[in-house]
Amino acid sequence: MIAIKELHKSFGGQPVLRGTTLQIKKGETLVIIGRSGCGKSVLLKHIIGILQPDRGTITVDGQNVSALKGKDLVKLRMKFGMLFQGAALFDSLSVYENVGFALLEHTRLSQEEIRGRVAQSLESVDLAHIEEKKPAELSGGMKKRVGLARAICNNPQIILYDEPTTGLDPIMADMINDLIVRLHKQLKVTSVVVTHDMKSAYKVGTRIAMLYEGVIIAQGTPDEIRNSPDPIVQQFISGAAHGPITDKRQNGAVSYE
Amino acid sequence: MQNNNALVKKSINFVEYAGGLTILLLRTVGWIFIPPFKRKPLVEQMSKTGVDSFSIVFLTAFFTGIVLALQTAYTMKQMSAEIYIASLVSLSMTRELGPVLTALVVAARVGASITAEVGTMNVTEQIDALETLATNPVKYLVVPRFLALTLMLPLLTVYADFIGILGGFLVGFSKLHIAPHLYLKKTFDALAMKDVYTGLIKAMVFAGIISIVACYEGMRTKGGAEGVGRSTTLSVVISCILVITFDCLFTALFYFVLRG
Repeated sequence: MIAIKELHKSFGGQPVLRGTTLQIKKGETLVIIGRSGCGKSVLLKHIIGILQPDRGTITVDGQNVSALKGKDLVKLRMKFGMLFQGAALFDSLSVYENVGFALLEHTRLSQEEIRGRVAQSLESVDLAHIEEKKPAELSGGMKKRVGLARAICNNPQIILYDEPTTGLDPIMADMINDLIVRLHKQLKVTSVVVTHDMKSAYKVGTRIAMLYEGVIIAQGTPDEIRNSPDPIVQQFISGAAHGPITDKRQNGAVSYE
Repeated sequence: MQNNNALVKKSINFVEYAGGLTILLLRTVGWIFIPPFKRKPLVEQMSKTGVDSFSIVFLTAFFTGIVLALQTAYTMKQMSAEIYIASLVSLSMTRELGPVLTALVVAARVGASITAEVGTMNVTEQIDALETLATNPVKYLVVPRFLALTLMLPLLTVYADFIGILGGFLVGFSKLHIAPHLYLKKTFDALAMKDVYTGLIKAMVFAGIISIVACYEGMRTKGGAEGVGRSTTLSVVISCILVITFDCLFTALFYFVLRG
């Protein structure tokens, strides 16, 4: 289980997270929604320990992430897989070296075993026989799927998705959504998905939480969020240009973008 | 008052920058001794930073040797002392021009390429991805580049010394009509071991400067393509300034400690 408690983070004096508190249960797919630049990706990077909080704690299976160092941090990170918004594949490496990166770097498995695991991961994301290609030779959708294959290759217990459908055409976006649902069922993992794509949120999430002005203002099942009485949540999920979010901005309220 | 504030801010930025470079250098040296030790990335970097620089170093050193011989010939001829051109070229190349010119060329070619590569990795979240894959970016990115350059720059410097001497030799032999064996004798008579090894010590220090500045600039790159361009320019400018500054410091140090 992941527990985020009173998390605060500022960049250059600009507060992004202002006491975020959230619990993510084992085996669920929690979708964090919110406007671009509201701190969703920052929250995700705190969970895996890439960013250190100014205040507050994140615990994963009882371990305080920000207090971990050296081998303990490596061990914790091996529990995770993360899909980045732009896939973040290593340009200089082939698809095989990208997908098998963690296994090549941190295990003593033979090349043959790693090749098998890489092929299996690529098959899980409906790709095959592209091991020798370089990331520059792949389309946007393929890059995302290779990124996903890399995230699942070392059998993680938790998968973090940062804007998995951004920049993709609607059909490819829906295919990625299907993949997330399928992987969740197949691998029985805990998933945390950050997105502002409501179609994706409703499809993949077992629970949805909305981040607004650095705090979680609403959380519940997709149906509960859909029927939320909160006008901020309603403006966001309906994508209306006018409402409490935009009115507050126009009145000169603090913004994080 | 405003001037004072700007000065204080600049001083803080300078100390912060110098501190950042020092911390990265210490972390890099620390990670060198922590397993796993992989040969492949080191060999790749040695090829990219060293072997691929041989041609540009050849051109720079060769023409410098020629120019040096021609320029000194102008003065030496008036004193009928052309034969001393051989010692002048060899000493200038090994003690000063070999290490400094090679370092400047490498800072422009290799330093810029390291910053552009690491900077692009940073803005496209590849460095974050390394961390999520439980891999330390300093160990994975900085250590092989630092080691490769520290090994290859002294080699390139020795190469530049020889090529520069060759350039001078060709001028002496073909234009000034100095007998080849006499030119070579004067060249090697003038050289002492310390002329070569002080040049190599400088080359190793310059290699450290170029690789650490290049990686540091890459790792703090922000803001997409424009940011990568800015970091790359800064990396080359800062490396060149530091190379020349440290050259001055080391020359003074060797002068006073080694008496010449």
